[in-house]
Amino acid sequence: MKSFVRLIAAAALTVAGATGALAQAKEWKEIRIGTEGAYPPYNNLNAKKELEGFEIDYGNLLCEKMKVKCTWVVQDWDGIIPALLANKYDVIFAGMNATDERKKQVDFTSVYSKTPIWMIGPKSTKSDDISPAALKGKAVGAQGSTIHANYLEKFYKDSDIRLYPTQEEANLDLLNGRLDYIVADALALADFLKGKGKDCCRKIAEVKRDDAIHGPGVAGAVRKSDTALKEMISKAIAETMADGSHKKLEDKWFKYD
Amino acid sequence: MLDKFALLGFGPEGWGWALLQGAGVTISIALATLPFGLALGLLVALGKRSDSAVLRAVATLYTTIFRGVPELLTLYIIYFGVQLLLQHLWQKLGLPGSFSMPPFVAGMVALGVVLSAFSSEVWVGALNAIQKGQREAAAALGLSKAQAFRLVVLPQLIRVALPGLGNNWMVLLKETSLVSVITLPDIMFITTRANVVTKEPFLFFGAAMLIYLVFSLISARALGRMERRANRGFAAFGGAMR
Repeated sequence: MKSFVRLIAAAALTVAGATGALAQAKEWKEIRIGTEGAYPPYNNLNAKKELEGFEIDYGNLLCEKMKVKCTWVVQDWDGIIPALLANKYDVIFAGMNATDERKKQVDFTSVYSKTPIWMIGPKSTKSDDISPAALKGKAVGAQGSTIHANYLEKFYKDSDIRLYPTQEEANLDLLNGRLDYIVADALALADFLKGKGKDCCRKIAEVKRDDAIHGPGVAGAVRKSDTALKEMISKAIAETMADGSHKKLEDKWFKYD
Repeated sequence: MLDKFALLGFGPEGWGWALLQGAGVTISIALATLPFGLALGLLVALGKRSDSAVLRAVATLYTTIFRGVPELLTLYIIYFGVQLLLQHLWQKLGLPGSFSMPPFVAGMVALGVVLSAFSSEVWVGALNAIQKGQREAAAALGLSKAQAFRLVVLPQLIRVALPGLGNNWMVLLKETSLVSVITLPDIMFITTRANVVTKEPFLFFGAAMLIYLVFSLISARALGRMERRANRGFAAFGGAMR
């Protein structure tokens, strides 16, 4: 029995040595990308159950530049970082802002998208002043566990902050007159102002970014141990910025007016 | 109004196929979980009635935990927690590559564990309903304990347990909706995605509701038949008792 255990241990050690050497020289030939598939125009599923959106096109473009094979995994937002840590995929492209809070868990590539942040409200809103003093006592809505919720909680303590599970519900409550303002990504709000919110509401003002809360923008998230992968993707991002292919995809997917 | 319903159809803009595939995922995870969960439940039930105090304690602890912890949490623990643990062990052992638990397996294990905890109570009830004399008679005929269980107890057990187990199945069918959080494209997963793109929540949640209802109606029918079959020969006796 003892000798058997020793044999196994020896075998394990040999393999460990071999993989240790392998790990150092690990080359990324295949990358698994996690996304939400429910956040247009960044990423969503269409009726054919195919992924589409800016991040899907852009992710595939990056993979082309890096000459790696990429596969996509669709994971709900709530578990999107745990699944990365549990090795279900290697990088997240899901409209995720590179905030300090998330940096405690994951590393970010360089930023590949930066959406303006808007405040919208009913058309009858007279003033375009969105300072905390002006919004004192007003009902301000946002989606929970987002940078916008954190922003409200930090700067708008005297307002009546209401957080919703999805942006859809906040929009509905603005339509119903329960909210005076909503703060969210300009892309999501522009969509609403063109559709259901066409008659009721308007853009009040753009919110000035606060780097500590909003972070520098949307970036890919990788495990802290995958430094080589992070650098490889950041390099590919820089290439797409330089050759204009990034701009092309932005023009294709992002329309604010 | 009509073009709204086209969204549920099979045309280029229709989500019909996607929803059908989602229904396929839902039913296959439920069917894959069922035998595993029921068999494990029966084992736990036997543990609860065992002569060994240790086995009884383990079985009781098991049902206490998995009946008490929310299914969603069990699913997270198995999909994320157990995955991390196994991956850690994998690396400790120095095995090459990395370990990955497929979402289908994780869903099946999580739902199966919960099903086993609930069904074990049904099995215990059914085991208690079979009179001691049956086992004694089997022993008198020279059957071993295992033979007595397989040939005498089990056939009667299924008849008594069927209504309770049918109930467990209906609950399981609905609980499969949780697997959408671990990347399995079931009915709820497709519905939420369709909702985000089309902005027609009531249409799609209504369709999902109908699909689940159809599944449970079919199940109720099938269970009714199985119960009638299991009760054959008992009906007349039951009538006479009234």
